[in-house]
Amino acid sequence: MSEEILLGDEAVARGAIDAGISAAYAYPGTPSTEIYQTIQDYAKQHSLPVRGMWSTNEKVALEEGIGVSYAGGRAMVSMKHVGLNVAADPFMNVAVSGAHGGLVIAVADDPSMHSSQNEQDSRYFADFAMVPCLEPGDQQQCYDFTREAFELSERLQVPVLLRLVTRLAHSRAAVTLATARAQNVPNYVEDPSRYTLLPVNARKAYAKLVDKQPALQDYSENHAGNALTLRGNGKPGILVSGLGWNYLKEAMGDALEGYNLLRVGVYPLPVKKIRQLLDASSEVWIVEEGYPFIERYVSALGLMRERPIHGKLTGALPRMGELTQDTIRRCFGLPVSVSLQIEGLSDVLVGRPPRLCDKCPHTDAYIAINQVLTQYDPGVRVMGDIGCYTLGYLQPYNAIHSCLCMGSSIGMAIGAAHTGMTPSLCVIGDGTFTHSGMAPLLDAARDNTNIKVFILDNSIVAMTGGQPTMATDEEVVDLVAGLGVPREHIRIVVPLPNRKDQTLAIINEELPYKGLSVIIARRACVTYAKQIKLYKRACEEQTE
Amino acid sequence: MNYDLVICGVGGQGVLSIAWVIDHAVHEAGLHFKQSEVHGMAQRGGAVSAFVRISDQPVASDLIANGAASLVLSVEPMEALRYAQLLRPDGWIVSDVTPLENVDAYPPHEALYKVLFSVPHLVALDATRLATKAGAVKAQNMVVLGAAASQLPLPVDLLEKQIHELFASKGERIIKANINAFRMGAAASQFAAALSAAGVPSSVLARVMPRLAFEPQAVAQPTLDAWCKRLLAADAAQLALQLFQADAVLALDVAPA
Repeated sequence: MSEEILLGDEAVARGAIDAGISAAYAYPGTPSTEIYQTIQDYAKQHSLPVRGMWSTNEKVALEEGIGVSYAGGRAMVSMKHVGLNVAADPFMNVAVSGAHGGLVIAVADDPSMHSSQNEQDSRYFADFAMVPCLEPGDQQQCYDFTREAFELSERLQVPVLLRLVTRLAHSRAAVTLATARAQNVPNYVEDPSRYTLLPVNARKAYAKLVDKQPALQDYSENHAGNALTLRGNGKPGILVSGLGWNYLKEAMGDALEGYNLLRVGVYPLPVKKIRQLLDASSEVWIVEEGYPFIERYVSALGLMRERPIHGKLTGALPRMGELTQDTIRRCFGLPVSVSLQIEGLSDVLVGRPPRLCDKCPHTDAYIAINQVLTQYDPGVRVMGDIGCYTLGYLQPYNAIHSCLCMGSSIGMAIGAAHTGMTPSLCVIGDGTFTHSGMAPLLDAARDNTNIKVFILDNSIVAMTGGQPTMATDEEVVDLVAGLGVPREHIRIVVPLPNRKDQTLAIINEELPYKGLSVIIARRACVTYAKQIKLYKRACEEQTE
Repeated sequence: MNYDLVICGVGGQGVLSIAWVIDHAVHEAGLHFKQSEVHGMAQRGGAVSAFVRISDQPVASDLIANGAASLVLSVEPMEALRYAQLLRPDGWIVSDVTPLENVDAYPPHEALYKVLFSVPHLVALDATRLATKAGAVKAQNMVVLGAAASQLPLPVDLLEKQIHELFASKGERIIKANINAFRMGAAASQFAAALSAAGVPSSVLARVMPRLAFEPQAVAQPTLDAWCKRLLAADAAQLALQLFQADAVLALDVAPA
């Protein structure tokens, strides 16, 4: 037993290592990035035989993890909440086929959208797939639940979803660590029909998943993480989950002793305990971080009339954003503290949003695109994508006009071109291109759609802290050519102030062409220059 | 005992290093803590903050409630004001006065200082200059930590020990610069506390403090007495204004006439 100060993400990583994982896979995304980063660093420092990589995207990461499980090893796969949308196909189906070696998918939700495009709640995915979900409420539980998730996954042969939220993923506390388990010896799935989801097999596998549900229900009912405290019939009740407990405890203090209380950290929902809580309580408040997931079930969308239920659906708590001690105090009619008042404060306090770094290559790319577009209808929209370059939406560039999901820019540009937008431009980074931009580019190549795709190749995944990119420099050119884009319409520009004239000339040559062009703006990220050199050297050593 | 503090600044200013030192010192002191941080886009020059919650009992929430923080420790003067809502009415702000202007709408300095210097419990200092003098401009964060050290519910030697740990891999020169930076900050806050106790108004102190060349040891008593006398004089407010506007660093041992 030892104690260390760990971020929630780091505690998950250490839990996975101490659970005896053979491998880990991930795609970077705030607030989940530190999980794989820690596994990779720790395994390297301690020469542990843990394989893995920053995968091409979340779907591939999960499929790699499923392969480990199939071969008898334990695997941790981590991603942010929207990454699970990308991985939804293998996620839903591995629930049906089941796990062999322990398989845990750690997903970090981002209520309040600190660095995300939505605040979707991953508990719905676990429910949808009929697999268990563990929801740690503090850093110690991050470690303990991760270890337990592997044990559960192997015992009941199901993948397990571990749900984190930003404030836990990015908060530190002391964590007590336990003795590490050994890795599994490879032992392949004996009956391959389990993983061969032809309809004839899938029906059997799905029946097995359905048959597992009572065992999962029992597990949840008897779990110490679902703790019911009844203080007397007719008292008010509170059902609280995950991180909500921390805020509730702090907000209510001793007043909690006047309530029947059910604390939930393990799903499927402990139905019997919820029944007991409802039976004993005059009315029930539901406090949960994220969507009103439990509240929708328990209140039957507000149709249940036997007990008043209060929560996010009824307006007792805010529908959007993170919980805080103060929102809970207001919910229960308790006063909140007075703050220091500083006169004139609002006059001198302005926002400090993130922005593109000085000398960032993206700035030169955007300056060139903006200048070229002055020749066209000012209504022309440029489809953007996800990365540092999304900041090109902001002043002073105002250069892109969409950011929907990873890889969306190219498909959206195709659709816009089909609807008559001329010229139809889109912008995508090298990391996002290999994540999910190659498939839409294949569409554009087959259709020879009149779109101009700008690939901003800065040789790194910069936004999430400098993870290696899958392809850069000539590799990007070869990928693009391989997808069927004619080499004469793959153009390279160097986004530098003193190369602006050449950049403009090349873009202007491609714009009148009534087919697909790919313009690669190639210059390494200035912030991660050192890291890029290290990655490139490592690549060269690998090929030697 | 419950003690909440906010550490803040801009990406690259070492906010999370301050948090690291405090976390480890708190842990070594046998106290409980939680420390959350917002740094999603820190590399892009955005605002960065860390909330540290210290207690002799287990800490539940990772967030600080409005009006609950005892201290805002800031490496940048505008950021120092961003978390005012979290401060108790009697809370302290300890801040560097050196603006980091990477936004177009950054307020005029005079207006910013006027508001910041009106804060009743304030230690304002030029941490950037002091850190440069200590041997590493990047140690500005340790100057601010030093200036806040006497407020924290922790022995100062535990903080210094963790500063040693944090920079252990960077060599003796960097360790020494950071320790000296920390001690300059500590000397500054002791000086401010003594003058404040003697009745020097906070608005006067706020303007004088950033212009003094603190050393990595406590200000000598005769020097302190001389400054005390000078800043209790009838024209002290005017002198403070002049010193602040002159924007030059004064050696402490010569109190201006």
